[in-house]
Amino acid sequence: MSLLELKNVYKIYGELHALDDVNLKVEKGEWVSIMGPSGSGKSTMMNIIGCMDKPTKGEVLLDGVDISKQSKKNLTAIRRDKIGLIFQQFHLVNYLTAVENVMLAQYYHSIPDEKEALEALERVGLADRAKHLPSQLSGGEQQRVCVARALINYPEIILADEPTGNLDEANEEIVVDLFNKLHQDGTTLIVVTHDPEVAEVAQRKIVLRSGKITKVEENRNFTGKIRFDD
Amino acid sequence: MVVALLSIAIGATILSGLVSIYYDVPRQMGAEFRNYGANVIFTASGDSFTVSDINDAAAIFDSGDIVGTAPFRYENVRINEKPIVAAGTDPEGVKKTSPYWRITGQWLEGSGELLVGANVADTFRLKEGDFIDVYYTPEGSQSADENGERVVVEDNIKSFTVVGILDTGGKEEDYVYMTLADIEELTQADKGRADIAELSVSLSADELADVVDKINAQVSTVHASLVKRVTASEATVLTKLQALVLLVTVVVLALTMICVATTMTAVVAERRKEIGLRKAIGASDTSIIKEFMGESMLLGLFGGILGSVLGFVFAQQVSINVFSSSISFRPLLVPVTVLISMAVTGLSSLMPIRSATYVDPALVLKGE
Amino acid sequence: MFLRMIRGTLFRQWKKMIMIAFTIALGASLASAMLSVMLDVGDKVNQELKTYGANIMVVPKEASVIGDLYELEGEENASAYLKEEDLGKIKTIFWAFNIVDFAPFTNVTGQTADGSEIDIVGSWYSHHMELPTGEQLDAGMESLRSWWELKEGSWLNEQTASQNDNGAMIGVTLAQRLGLGVGDTLHIKGKANELDFKIVGIYDAGGEEDQKLFTYLHNAQALSSLDGRINSIEVSAITTPDNELAELATKNGPSSLTVSQYEKWYCTAYASSICWQIQEAIPDCVASPVRQVADSEGAILEKTQLLMILITILSLIGAALGICNLVTATVMERSQEIGLMKAIGAQNGSISLLVLTEIFITAIIGGVAGFFAGFGFAQIIGHSVFGSAIEFRVMVVPIVAVLVVVVTLIGCIPAIRMLLGLRPTEVLHGK
Repeated sequence: MSLLELKNVYKIYGELHALDDVNLKVEKGEWVSIMGPSGSGKSTMMNIIGCMDKPTKGEVLLDGVDISKQSKKNLTAIRRDKIGLIFQQFHLVNYLTAVENVMLAQYYHSIPDEKEALEALERVGLADRAKHLPSQLSGGEQQRVCVARALINYPEIILADEPTGNLDEANEEIVVDLFNKLHQDGTTLIVVTHDPEVAEVAQRKIVLRSGKITKVEENRNFTGKIRFDD
Repeated sequence: MVVALLSIAIGATILSGLVSIYYDVPRQMGAEFRNYGANVIFTASGDSFTVSDINDAAAIFDSGDIVGTAPFRYENVRINEKPIVAAGTDPEGVKKTSPYWRITGQWLEGSGELLVGANVADTFRLKEGDFIDVYYTPEGSQSADENGERVVVEDNIKSFTVVGILDTGGKEEDYVYMTLADIEELTQADKGRADIAELSVSLSADELADVVDKINAQVSTVHASLVKRVTASEATVLTKLQALVLLVTVVVLALTMICVATTMTAVVAERRKEIGLRKAIGASDTSIIKEFMGESMLLGLFGGILGSVLGFVFAQQVSINVFSSSISFRPLLVPVTVLISMAVTGLSSLMPIRSATYVDPALVLKGE
Repeated sequence: MFLRMIRGTLFRQWKKMIMIAFTIALGASLASAMLSVMLDVGDKVNQELKTYGANIMVVPKEASVIGDLYELEGEENASAYLKEEDLGKIKTIFWAFNIVDFAPFTNVTGQTADGSEIDIVGSWYSHHMELPTGEQLDAGMESLRSWWELKEGSWLNEQTASQNDNGAMIGVTLAQRLGLGVGDTLHIKGKANELDFKIVGIYDAGGEEDQKLFTYLHNAQALSSLDGRINSIEVSAITTPDNELAELATKNGPSSLTVSQYEKWYCTAYASSICWQIQEAIPDCVASPVRQVADSEGAILEKTQLLMILITILSLIGAALGICNLVTATVMERSQEIGLMKAIGAQNGSISLLVLTEIFITAIIGGVAGFFAGFGFAQIIGHSVFGSAIEFRVMVVPIVAVLVVVVTLIGCIPAIRMLLGLRPTEVLHGK
């Protein structure tokens, strides 16, 4: 059984078909990237996978559970237990330190454990910045805190929305390396991105256009590293 | 925006409401103080004066200021062979000048009616509805004529119905009261004579003193004087009351203004992003400040107008509830309220707008 | 973690929190200032109204029936007097604390050197009393006749006068008639004795008292050999405005009341119940309210209190709306943060709890600060208007507390409702 399965998923806003009969399977441990121009339905798809929205029609099975039939409260619980989110704008709580931001995810999940949170920060290479406020961190550092926060509860899937959109190349590479590490640890990764370089790294690349999956590319030379064209 | 408008309107309501009340307190309270009774007394400057002299002197006051005028004529009469002071007066006037008189039974209204002081009523065991004869011995009855013989003059007698018992806690309880016409009929002498007149005038102590001086200068037959006990005390209490309302107004006002200011600060802070955007597309700091200031001034204008109306309604309600009289509309208060609320809104948004223009547009737009 | 988050908002977001706390403090200070003043204004205005003089008159039983009538004939009622020794009993009645001033009067007549008869009144001026309760009181004419204008000289004063001081104050009209000034001596032949009075003050009372001579009680008594006897007592008491119960008691007498009515009446400071208690304390006397003063006091007091209540309500509404506004605005501002928390799995309950806790901690800090500031404002008002402190009323504390809590809660509700309805997707994609 696939970890995630979308069966004939539609998302319709009035006349607009944001998602139009989407079918997709993601296996456990897979690294998938989703590409597409603005308005292609990437964000909608991510929201649905991230349990933040429900499809108009169709089934979304996550670990065998149809999340399109769940109540709002249950969706929150599923999201908390199974999904780690990473955003383009980082979205850190600006009055909490790096380690506290990581602990926040633990807090809503189970019980906060500072030691574990510090270990997570160490994994993203930020152990020495643990006591800093987001405003004292660079963009790359902030995104790494987000990664630490996303992985702290050992989610089934890490869902990243334009994780490198606000980062320079150096930081982009650091983040992709982190993803690679996570991949090697067996975490399922779904990365929504505009950036072909980041998309290419994944094992499988899915291209969305006007709400439909138009292209699926398997990456035969998967290395988990960014290949810069130049 | 609605939040800001609401808070400005509340501020303006409080401002215009309290200021209206503040200006109306002396007038409204002054009317309450008239409960204490007469504050001006007319006495004859010569031997005697008449009711028409009193009316002449009273005419010097603005007729609107006079709450009531009560002339009194006192005569010694006898009831059941005991000497009693009888007073003739104008019942309608007394009702106004001595609102504290407590009557058991009916008020004195017409001829043949007698209002009896509580002590007199006790002495003679009189009650409402009793009939009683009042004796008056005309002057000269005890004297002798030129031949040394005693002249016996018949007493004048008039029958009265006791209509009410008077309770004041003062010396009035020892007197009996009848109309001026009745006392003239009883004495059959000195038509129109009065001994004293009590006036209740709603003016401040200083204004009263001026008019009293004027009366003393213009009407030779009348000597007007202030009832110090009433005027001096009223001035003391009224000054304090007005000071109280003033201080309360100032405190409430200061606090509401700060509230408006904090709300404006919050409202402007929320729009930092918009300011950043405007800067990014090339707006200069001054044009942003101008635009935002214009907007907040407009808010101040609407809030102020809304507040003046609500404030007047509020003051009106207070006046009707507390003093059971309506308040006069002060047109001047509207522009003042509007100006103040515009100034406060303008000033309180100036600071946050200025500091918002220092922000780097790039940072704001990136959502940091 | 919860505590760390709270600490985070309070210490790292202190600017925003201070603004809320400040607004709440303003509202709370306004509320507590107005409530303190409102609750005290009755007593304060009542004190001020004491300038109108006595509101209760005590006379001997017989005198009250026909008293003045005999005097009109120029005779003095030989039998009806109160005893000077009973005076202290006035301050022993149930409502003794409400009696702020009183003075005895002994009225006699005397002849001047030119044979004309004048009224002489013996009284207290600034009589110092130490009561068994430990209370001290300066009672007498100086405060009871606050409207007297001193034209020349000074007030009589028992505390500085010698045992047999023969000082006297003379009314301005009488002084003019007799051609007397301060320092002059006036020889008076009384019914029993003759005395030389030394004029220490000339007053203008603006009434019939201008024709009288006022002296110490013992001098007036000596003139007519009336040792220890007085004609009347004027009492100035702080009273509660009459209501139906008081009317009933006045009209039908206290004996007509039921036991519970009687107890309520007796234990309320109505003019009539104070009169009744004075009559119980002093034998053979009649105490009655001076309607001119007592009724007017009631009316003015009621109006002032009503006025203050309405102004207080207005300012409370103002304060409440101000707080509501700002709380709503600041909570709404946090939509992004809340959206994130929801995205990483926070349930509605824990978000509401967090927001409410933060706001309430702020509200408590602001409320406490505001309460004290407001009490300070009340003192400023008290001192500058009435020249005396506004009493601390315990009652204000719960009222302000409830007000702050309720208002803050009301301010939070729309904001929290909005935040809970918020979908994380709306805020997280930078829309």
